Amino acid sequence: MTQSPCELDVRPILKEGGEPFGAIMAAVAALAPGQGLRLLAPFKPVPLFQVLAARGFEPSAREIGGGDWEVIFTPTGAETPKAVMISTADGPGWPEPSVELDNRDLNPPEPMVRTLEAVEALVPGQTLAALLPREPLFLFEELQNRGHKWRGDLEADGSYRIVIRACVGEKGRI
Amino acid sequence: MMGAAISRWTMSYFAAALVFLIAAEGLMVAGYGFPAAPMEAPETLVLVHMVTIGWLSLLMCGALFQFVPVLVATPLRYPALVLPAFVLLLTGLGCLLGGFLQLAGSFDADLPLLAMAGVFLPSGFALAVWVIAVTLWAGRPLALPARFVAVGLFAVVVVAMLGASFAFVLSGTSPFDPLIELRPHILTIHVAIGFGGWLGFTAIGVSYRLLPMFMLSPESERSTAYWVWWCGSAALLLIALIVPATLLLAVGTGPVITVACLLAFLALGLYAADLTFFYRHRRRRTIELNSSAALGAFAMLYLAVLLFAALLLTGTLEQHVGALIHLIAFGWLTGLGLSQLYKIVPFLTWLECYGPVMGRQPTPRVQDMVVEKRDMPWFAVYFLGVLVCTAALLADQPTLFRILALMPLMATVAIVVELIGARRLSNIAAERRLPPGTMQPRLFLPPTLNWRRS
Repeated sequence: MTQSPCELDVRPILKEGGEPFGAIMAAVAALAPGQGLRLLAPFKPVPLFQVLAARGFEPSAREIGGGDWEVIFTPTGAETPKAVMISTADGPGWPEPSVELDNRDLNPPEPMVRTLEAVEALVPGQTLAALLPREPLFLFEELQNRGHKWRGDLEADGSYRIVIRACVGEKGRI
Repeated sequence: MMGAAISRWTMSYFAAALVFLIAAEGLMVAGYGFPAAPMEAPETLVLVHMVTIGWLSLLMCGALFQFVPVLVATPLRYPALVLPAFVLLLTGLGCLLGGFLQLAGSFDADLPLLAMAGVFLPSGFALAVWVIAVTLWAGRPLALPARFVAVGLFAVVVVAMLGASFAFVLSGTSPFDPLIELRPHILTIHVAIGFGGWLGFTAIGVSYRLLPMFMLSPESERSTAYWVWWCGSAALLLIALIVPATLLLAVGTGPVITVACLLAFLALGLYAADLTFFYRHRRRRTIELNSSAALGAFAMLYLAVLLFAALLLTGTLEQHVGALIHLIAFGWLTGLGLSQLYKIVPFLTWLECYGPVMGRQPTPRVQDMVVEKRDMPWFAVYFLGVLVCTAALLADQPTLFRILALMPLMATVAIVVELIGARRLSNIAAERRLPPGTMQPRLFLPPTLNWRRS
């Protein structure tokens, strides 16, 4: 059980403008039972905490200088497949975003309004991508109420990139 | 990536808090309590606890139930305890104020009201702290603003326990005689940790998130902010340790208090640097009224720091401590509270009313829910009023203080009227007010049914 954690440095991927989510999930999938993951990132990957918590990992993050973070995800032995998975369940295999929005410089709640306006204009199954000033917690709530699916990640500058897939047979419409 | 929902009882906490604020300001105009009565008179204690528990603590609890889930990106835990906490806090505060009125001889009742307050109030705070603390725990590792809140929660536990000990001593039911002997020290801790820890430190933490959020300033955690947290936490810890230090180490309280004050000054100095950074580096060029009024509150905070230093250096702190507390409670904390409510109430009302239809049909803008031009002068009257009231207290002019206290009272009433208008959507043109699928929010109660899902 004292197996050393697998190490993954996503800083080079991000530096080259890449998307580290796939690499992280691949590394997690390749872990031996009971093995942890040591992640190095140029920011604190807060959204990942929930995603990996749902897979039974507890994060322990510390700043290691130069704005970089080291997060050790330790398996807790208790997998909790809950509603949190909704945001990532359909991750792979989504079509390319048909709309790209940059809502970073808008005052709240405008980023959310513009994003939802664009989501409502999508054909079910289509996706859109939006850059938002921060992790959009109220938007997640509304997307969940309406039954849309999403995935997203914090960007290096603290903004948040979300990809939303319009659902088929929408919930919550009044 | 869980979402944050609207906290059901936050508006009720805010409404009760504002009622206590207006009542307390009204009592000051009526000449009740300090400065007409001495600082330690029961009448003054009524006034002080209406402001600190009735107004500021209810405001803080209501705000934290809403914002802690946002700070740590996880839903509020045990939300069913929020209402019982509210009822216990209101009952406990009622008992406390009644108990002080008994001490003042204003009425006679055969009930140990202070002892009852000593049970109800800590129970109410315990429930509130439990809900917030468990939510924070679920959101580890904590972002910096949440760490300020965590320290604030420790502080309110200390303050409530010490307050309860006073209540038992004053009601004659305390089993511990040493409490009476140590009362001056304990009172210092109760006041300093109450204002500096629970109310002040938590407000600083929340401001680290709210200011960048509404001014679109960079939100990366600055190293100065870490130092604010460390220095402030250390200062609070030292203050809390005054009594054990006195009892066990036989050292005087002087050196401990001096070090704590220096750390607090350092923390506030660095906080000033961070505030300046947020305002200078905002991407939103026009400052909205909530952020410009907050500037007034920050100015009052630093005036209070200067006043505190001046009173310390001239050895007149004891004589003028009332004026200093007035400036902190009304200038900084109340000023900041009102300025942030001015944004939070319209924002939450907007989400509650228009959230279900946003993106599906045109909705009014949040800024259309209030009329800044009409309200800006009231914020100016408020801060000017607090300033001249503090001056009247320093000049020992109780009658002048009563007259000048009308200014903050009138301004508060005007701001509260605007907040009620925001809840009622009364500033939005009738034809755009309630698009199909929306419902008029209730003034301060949650919607009875979860109609959004129906």
